[in-house]
Amino acid sequence: MARVITVAVVDDDRMLRDGLRAWLGDVPDLRLVATAATVGELLADPSPHRPDGPHGTAPPQADVVLLDLVLRDGSDPSDNIRRVLRTGSRVLMISTVPDRSRIIEAIRAGADGYLTKDHDLPTLVAAVKDLAEGRGAHSTELAFACAYDDSPARPRLSPRERQILLDYASGMTLKSAARRAGITVHTAKDYLDRVKAKYQQAGRPTYTKLDLALRVREDSLDGG
Amino acid sequence: MVLALQSLPLRRIRALRATTSVRSGTHRAQSFLIVATLLYRGSHLTVAVMAVAHRPWHLPLQHLGLAAALGMSALVYGTALRRGWFDPRHIWADVVVTGCVLPLALCAWGGVREPPTIAWAMLLGGSASATAAIALDRLHALAVVALLVVTHLIGYQAVDATPAVIVGHLNSLVSSAVMTYAFRWYLLRQGRLLDEANARALEAEAHKARYAERLEHHRALHDTVLATLTTLAAGAVDANAPEVRQRCAREAAYLRRLIQQTADEVPHREIGAALEEAVGSVESLGLRVTAQYHALPAVPPEVAAALGHAVREALNNVRRHAGTGHAYLTATGDPDGSGGAVVTVVDRGPGFDPARCEPGLGLRGSVHGRMTEAGGRATVDTAPGEGVRVELRWPA
Repeated sequence: MARVITVAVVDDDRMLRDGLRAWLGDVPDLRLVATAATVGELLADPSPHRPDGPHGTAPPQADVVLLDLVLRDGSDPSDNIRRVLRTGSRVLMISTVPDRSRIIEAIRAGADGYLTKDHDLPTLVAAVKDLAEGRGAHSTELAFACAYDDSPARPRLSPRERQILLDYASGMTLKSAARRAGITVHTAKDYLDRVKAKYQQAGRPTYTKLDLALRVREDSLDGG
Repeated sequence: MVLALQSLPLRRIRALRATTSVRSGTHRAQSFLIVATLLYRGSHLTVAVMAVAHRPWHLPLQHLGLAAALGMSALVYGTALRRGWFDPRHIWADVVVTGCVLPLALCAWGGVREPPTIAWAMLLGGSASATAAIALDRLHALAVVALLVVTHLIGYQAVDATPAVIVGHLNSLVSSAVMTYAFRWYLLRQGRLLDEANARALEAEAHKARYAERLEHHRALHDTVLATLTTLAAGAVDANAPEVRQRCAREAAYLRRLIQQTADEVPHREIGAALEEAVGSVESLGLRVTAQYHALPAVPPEVAAALGHAVREALNNVRRHAGTGHAYLTATGDPDGSGGAVVTVVDRGPGFDPARCEPGLGLRGSVHGRMTEAGGRATVDTAPGEGVRVELRWPA
């Protein structure tokens, strides 16, 4: 893939934003185009937060937004995710502690992946690339949250989906989990994608036109 | 880093709770009331037996009546002693049979027309009203006393008893009921007060235990995270030095596990504490452990110890053979909700061929052995190039 993937970071911790900037600065195929403390700040961005590139022009659209699960401005995580998704970016959630009910909420709201912040750079880069290329990003912590989701609204999983989910959640690679289940890696990944899709489907809200108009107005108000 | 998450006071509270739940104050008051009314009925039955046995006239109905009274008493008090309290239906049956039918039947067909010959049957009405007053609700108890008074009035009038005998007897019927009712009221109130005092003491003890636990956590945090942060803040060390970063990562992992373990509303610390020790021991040797816990069940201490031991062996195996420096640990309640536990230790190293390669002594001896001993089971799943997955299950 020769194309450079554009990335934005929304996190209320400045140290973490700076850290990611330094980290991603060394990755050839990725370009960090914006960092912000809140989603409102990211969407309003008249470009003061852009780490590089010529000032004054509109920032390029980020392919993938790394979004902190819980922001200090008290904004609703699901709301944050939906606002970012409406801009056309895909959302990779990150957080310090795997707070399971919130992870589930985030996936329901349409986030495409979830990672805790203690992963090494290659894992993070791999997840970002997966998302940018339209594949689903998977992680043990996300699989664990889904596998042990005991909320009443959890979707029904088939026994096969459940087994792959549990094995992957235990830390096995997808390849080993597939071997254990006697299926191909490709099928195993399909199962994980399907589990995530079930969550996203269950959480998809049915917007009315009025709702959408309100959201657009909210966004532009934040921006002003 | 190694931290015993279960503190002693918590264990003591559990033991205390176990003993008090068996015999609460209310329960004791009820047991006492059963025994007291049983003795009262016993005294009446003694009189009845002597009366029937020593009378010169041997009338079959008297024997039959006595047998019925003994049978009803056995039913009422036997059940109460077995179940812990009276069955209202038995009380009503006793009142009707021994309290009403028996004296009336003796009057009608007993062939005797003198007050002393039915006195023993009348006497049983006293203990019937006493028991009804404590075992039935107020309205039913009043109905029972009224019914007994009317029946006994009719019975004594049928044998031409003197007013003094009648009034004396009716007085004893009513006062038996009033007395036991008052006893019950007082004893249950005392029992409740005792229970409340006990609950308060338990709550205080639990509070103290939580405080001790928090202190323990604080001490652990003080020795690890706080010390590291303070040193870094002082600028005395190079934050980028590999050993400093390693230490930071280790302590961050510890905080993550701590948060997961204390997330459950009713935390059972046995497994968590055992695993924490195992993780701590290998972390200090340089193995990175990603741990995820969910709804850890309460297990006997020897099971927690076996799980801890097996996990330590499995983690050591990862450290020695996987070559990745990274292990994944999960511990959860059995998904089928049976109260069991499932623990997995996984690595993404080279694995081995289970058909050709004897698993190391660690896996075979320590992991399998310890789990089997504790009534659990260990399964090793691996293939060349695919890491090793050790699953521990309890019960097997």
